[in-house]
Amino acid sequence: MFIKKEITKLAFLSRIKLDKEAMEDIPEELESILNYIQKLTDINTEGVDPLFHFPELKNVVRIDKAFEESKEIKDKMMLMGKKKDGYLKVESIL
Amino acid sequence: MNPTIKETQERIKKRELTPSDAVYSFLSRIRARNMETNAMLSVFEKAAGEITEIRRELPLFGSVFAIKDNILVKGEKCTAGSKILEHYVAPFDATVIEKIKEKGAVIIGKTNMDEFAMGSSTENSAFGPARNPHNLKKVPGGSSGGAAIGVADGMCNAALGSDTGGSIRQPAAFCGVVGMKPTYGTVSRSGVISMASSFDQVGPFAQTVEDAEIIFEAISGRDIKDSVTTDFLRKNRKSDKIRVGVPKEYFVKGIDQDIKEVIEKAISKIERKGIEVIEISLPHTEYALPTYEIIMASEVSANMARFDGMRYGMKIEKDVAKTIQDAYLENRGQGLGKEVKRRIILGTYTLSAGYYDAYYVKAQRVRSLIYKDMQDAFRQVDVLLTPTTPTLPFNIGEKIKDPLAMHLSDVFTVTANLAGLPAINLPCGKIKGLPVGAQVIAGRFREEILFAAAKKFEKIWQE
Repeated sequence: MFIKKEITKLAFLSRIKLDKEAMEDIPEELESILNYIQKLTDINTEGVDPLFHFPELKNVVRIDKAFEESKEIKDKMMLMGKKKDGYLKVESIL
Repeated sequence: MNPTIKETQERIKKRELTPSDAVYSFLSRIRARNMETNAMLSVFEKAAGEITEIRRELPLFGSVFAIKDNILVKGEKCTAGSKILEHYVAPFDATVIEKIKEKGAVIIGKTNMDEFAMGSSTENSAFGPARNPHNLKKVPGGSSGGAAIGVADGMCNAALGSDTGGSIRQPAAFCGVVGMKPTYGTVSRSGVISMASSFDQVGPFAQTVEDAEIIFEAISGRDIKDSVTTDFLRKNRKSDKIRVGVPKEYFVKGIDQDIKEVIEKAISKIERKGIEVIEISLPHTEYALPTYEIIMASEVSANMARFDGMRYGMKIEKDVAKTIQDAYLENRGQGLGKEVKRRIILGTYTLSAGYYDAYYVKAQRVRSLIYKDMQDAFRQVDVLLTPTTPTLPFNIGEKIKDPLAMHLSDVFTVTANLAGLPAINLPCGKIKGLPVGAQVIAGRFREEILFAAAKKFEKIWQE
């Protein structure tokens, strides 16, 4: 069973502040889902490779060329709150 | 009967209808019905005015589309059903939007959905639940519930949705329309808000299989902006014969008796028309949903990191947050809904040191086994035929407090996502006025067989 301390830590790692209601409901809901997914321990997967991607996929590299995208960048920056000299201004980190 | 793309095009060609009139008639339907179903989050009132020329040679000319609100349409709001993106305006068109616009489609609005496509009922929308047009007390399914309602309730000719674990096929089943998830890697996701990137695909909602195929042709193909897309060579089929496999595991646990009866009746109808149906086995079926839960939550937790209030999303007032840490916690705490939070937390857990191998890698190994089941199946048959959902549309509020019960709505649809297969829902009967959907699944990149089989079944079931 998830203890409150564990949920608090996971929520912090996820950068989510949980309100009182979520703090009450989420541990129990997670517990029921975790019990359900325990089912996978029934299967022996020794020697089975994980399917991280489909076999046909190839590595894709794009041509080494800068794209002229200034208009698109300008459009995207319109959405941002604060900006200065073509850069986005964000909160100070330290 | 709601108009198909084909019918609208025919009427325009015969000059019984102008493309602007088509748009106006859908707009008036939306005005009349949206208060009840809450299918549309935004409506483009000026859509008719933007039709400048009519090019009849284009495959989608005159057609009117509604778009799930996690697909970017330039200059329009794109909320993904979330408060955190309430005021977000799309700065560019998604590749699929560019493609349908180039091919003559008109976009009429954006449709309601579970927040960030996480849900199976469209109750998890920050903008209120959507309602099933067949019975307003019932859910329309989800997460693309609004798109399914739009097509079922005559608000548009067709719609685009996204499918991560069944989010196109399940609402299509609940609303009684055609809904198709393409092969993973055929349709570009550029400009589509990511949920779980190894599963996500964009696909059509339509009145008929024929319309769904026209839309699929229009939106598929290689796109440099989505590096998993490929230009696959469409195979021409040598014979018209189709061999159908019915997986026995789909009829045992968890399925409602009345759904089972309708599907079995539908299967015997196609058998009576001389189509070969054999029973097959997909031994790992019961592990599909738990496998999906783990991989999906893991990918969700990574994809959702971008919604931090800095790069995207709402921003809380400076004085609430003293440090950047606090700002992240507050932005995400206030901006995201509970279902989304729970999935992020679960994914953070399954990816964390010490649990990564036991959950995430284990699930990817089981995914290999499920993939292999499917490869084996498609050596014996051309398509699989299954129920799309284990139950009829349920009541609004019925499962919202029990996430596991809600997630079980996707038990028959997740396998196609785990194995990257194309799959389509088509209506095959009704119980107490509510639609029942059948799912057809084909091998990877075998859309031509999928559509051919679905068209045959559609014809038989409509007789």
